[in-house]
Amino acid sequence: MSAWTTVRGLSALAFAGEPDDGGFMLVVDSDQLVVSGVCKSYGRTRVLDHVDLSVTAGEIVALTGENGAGKSTLIRICAGLLRADSGDVKVAGGVGYCPQSPSLFELLTADEHLILFGRGVGLSRAAALERGRGLLEEFSFPVGRNIVTADMSGGTRQKLNLALALLCDPGLLLLDEPYQGFDRGTYVNFWDHCDRWRDQGKAIVVVTHMLAELERVDRVVELTAHDARPAHLR
Amino acid sequence: MTTASSTTKAGATAVRTAGRVLIMAEMHGRDLMRRHIALALLVALPASFYLTSGGSSRDAVSTGGVSMAFAVGGATLFSALSAIDVDQRLVMVGYRPLELLLGRLLFLGPLGVVIAGLFTAMMVGISHPHDGSMVFLGVTMVALQAVPFGLAVAAAVPRELEGTLVLIGVVGIQLAVRANAVVAKTLPFYGPRRLIEAGVTGHGEVWGPLVQTALYGLALLVVARMFIGPRLAVRRVTRG
Repeated sequence: MSAWTTVRGLSALAFAGEPDDGGFMLVVDSDQLVVSGVCKSYGRTRVLDHVDLSVTAGEIVALTGENGAGKSTLIRICAGLLRADSGDVKVAGGVGYCPQSPSLFELLTADEHLILFGRGVGLSRAAALERGRGLLEEFSFPVGRNIVTADMSGGTRQKLNLALALLCDPGLLLLDEPYQGFDRGTYVNFWDHCDRWRDQGKAIVVVTHMLAELERVDRVVELTAHDARPAHLR
Repeated sequence: MTTASSTTKAGATAVRTAGRVLIMAEMHGRDLMRRHIALALLVALPASFYLTSGGSSRDAVSTGGVSMAFAVGGATLFSALSAIDVDQRLVMVGYRPLELLLGRLLFLGPLGVVIAGLFTAMMVGISHPHDGSMVFLGVTMVALQAVPFGLAVAAAVPRELEGTLVLIGVVGIQLAVRANAVVAKTLPFYGPRRLIEAGVTGHGEVWGPLVQTALYGLALLVVARMFIGPRLAVRRVTRG
């Protein structure tokens, strides 16, 4: 059963344990991700206000909230892709980040992406292809078809996007609605994989709106729109 | 012992960097080579400038040569700006921003030289300049200078429309003003233009414009690196 935590306003807190543990953040050695007092504004709109969050190894945390609550912003800050206005983010080990919309080269094939990203994490061509194709096959990606990403379906592109996040075998996975465009079978398969990654000791943060699947995660952290935000943005 | 170990480490880092630059150049090349219409336009655009400026006149050689900057600079600008999100992911997995810049430079530079060769052959055949090899050198310098110029504009002006307008503005002014006007001397294609005109007329310096072009190109690369670094930076604090 998932524990629910609501993160909002100045008293924004996420708990390492049950929500009635009290108003503090417990930090333990197995924490893969520790977010402390993170604030972020876009212009005059404050999106994140003193957000704390910790995720331990072997834990799946679902990050939910209405549109504009700052889920993707928080994930991007955790990945190091966006600078917080204040606060700290600390991670232990490698980070795999799967953005909401696939950031890929339009006219490269899946294999070429694997080679390019693989080199970044220190893999040879052969090693990147072997590991990457293995990951793609797990998600029923049509491995071996030499098509560029522009000619792939949305779901197929997303599978590649997810495989690239996993290529470096990260300890922390930050997944921003990674199943967009997946068919039903692949979607269920994705959650089965989350279970397996948790068993391998990975810490996983998944941005999701799928309430039916929240039973499969260890904890649900809900970001709510900040009170200071104009009503039309809440 | 320590010196040997640090030398080995530096060598390994250099090999790793070279590998990343080469793979970036290869993949950038594969991506661009599949854009057949864009490739055709890379040749057609300067050719159009040259032919519509009175193909057989000697001024047309200078106009056509400098207009190579529109094509190569535009291709560079687009390739850098359209990939900014992927570039940030590549930095996240271990690439350095400079490696991404050098990878693009490594592919686009030689491509520009090839296009410059074909284009110069056409101009030499039609306009019969005094020194065809000097014209080739000048047009090649335009192509080579256009790559760091496109990278610098893409890094400093992060939106495609604004970047394109800056590119059109700078190259347009370079084409519009007299070759020896004060403002022309401050622009990136002044050196290459002098080389082209030396090839057309048969008299003019070689080394001065070459050194000036090289220094300007280096400065443009420094500007590109300076602006692109913060935009692609991955900020992460690792727990011990």
